[in-house]
Amino acid sequence: MNRIHCVLGLTAAALGLGAAAADFRPAANMIVVAQTESEHDHITAIELAERIIARETGLQILDLRSLAEFEQFHIPSASHATLDEMAHRPFPRDGQIVLYSEDGTHSAQAWKLMRLRGYRNISFLREGIYEWISRVHEPRLAADATAAERDDFKRATEFSRFFGGVPLSDVPRSEVPLGYWTGSANKTSVPVKQAVEKIRRRGC
Amino acid sequence: MTAPLSETGIIGAQGTLLAAPVIGFAFGWFLERGGLGSAPKLAGQFYFVDLTVFKVMFSALLTAMLGAFWLDFFGVLDLELVYIPETFVLPQAVGGALFGAGFLLGGLCPGTSCVAAAAGRLDGIAVVCGMLAGVFIFNSAFDWIAEFYASTSLGPMTLTNMLGISRGAVVAVIAIAAVAGFTIATRIEDTRS
Repeated sequence: MNRIHCVLGLTAAALGLGAAAADFRPAANMIVVAQTESEHDHITAIELAERIIARETGLQILDLRSLAEFEQFHIPSASHATLDEMAHRPFPRDGQIVLYSEDGTHSAQAWKLMRLRGYRNISFLREGIYEWISRVHEPRLAADATAAERDDFKRATEFSRFFGGVPLSDVPRSEVPLGYWTGSANKTSVPVKQAVEKIRRRGC
Repeated sequence: MTAPLSETGIIGAQGTLLAAPVIGFAFGWFLERGGLGSAPKLAGQFYFVDLTVFKVMFSALLTAMLGAFWLDFFGVLDLELVYIPETFVLPQAVGGALFGAGFLLGGLCPGTSCVAAAAGRLDGIAVVCGMLAGVFIFNSAFDWIAEFYASTSLGPMTLTNMLGISRGAVVAVIAIAAVAGFTIATRIEDTRS
């Protein structure tokens, strides 16, 4: 082995060891796990409504449900996309991409696909189209609502009317999901799902 | 300006098509200059008498890996945008075995066979013809093997994701292994010659 080979070998070893010292970041899949646990992958329906109203530049909303469901009702300014397209289709990288599906499952899968393809500004609606309808399109206020809930409802009413929705006030407390206004775990309840079905039947 | 230039839209599809032959020509030229257009030299690695192929290929991998890592580190390249081919365990194992058998029989691999053919070597032309025949047979029979072709899919896999360790740690391990490999290969060659 001549001197040039020795120098090249030592340089490669030094650059390799330097790489270990320079990069302490966890593996890409660990980053995805951390983002999921910290909920940085989510956007709420109210946040999305604010951004649509503000006409945010580069905001791209993708509906992952079937084309028939999309044509029946979709979030304003959304476009239709399939899970397969999430794996292959190129999307602009300079804006925020928001994904939603029926209940959040497909959009979470698509979010992971897109993250592994290197898209960084991407989030999804945790409870899908149900969250949009129950929070923005048809917000609910219980008859025995607190003052804080009434304030939140007032704001949600403005959003609802902007998007052509129907706010419902003075409904029985049992028809308002637990944690609805507090921002805590808001598993879409049976009454909300029934309301969504009603909206669909009237063909909004 | 951030690479990869095709993914960030700087050179576009036409630019990519123009870049491909330039890179291909440069690759072939360096292979020929490195003596890899010679079948006896390539076959020599299977008998541990000439490990030039091992050293050339490993140094190419090492250079690309270190270059990609440090360019990404300094923001010139975005590694997140670099395409990672999907892993299909069984089809790729069978393909690798076929490739190795063809390499051993012909004494040339696809790249070096083109180099040898361009240099006017008859064995190179024969291997290129064999390669094209293989491509024709593969495509003609694709419907029969399509299910196997898509089986045991694991998606894009990397050592960092498989082992759950940082990219830098993987780079360090491979760099040290490569340098050790070069040293051992040179000693084997010295012993055999």
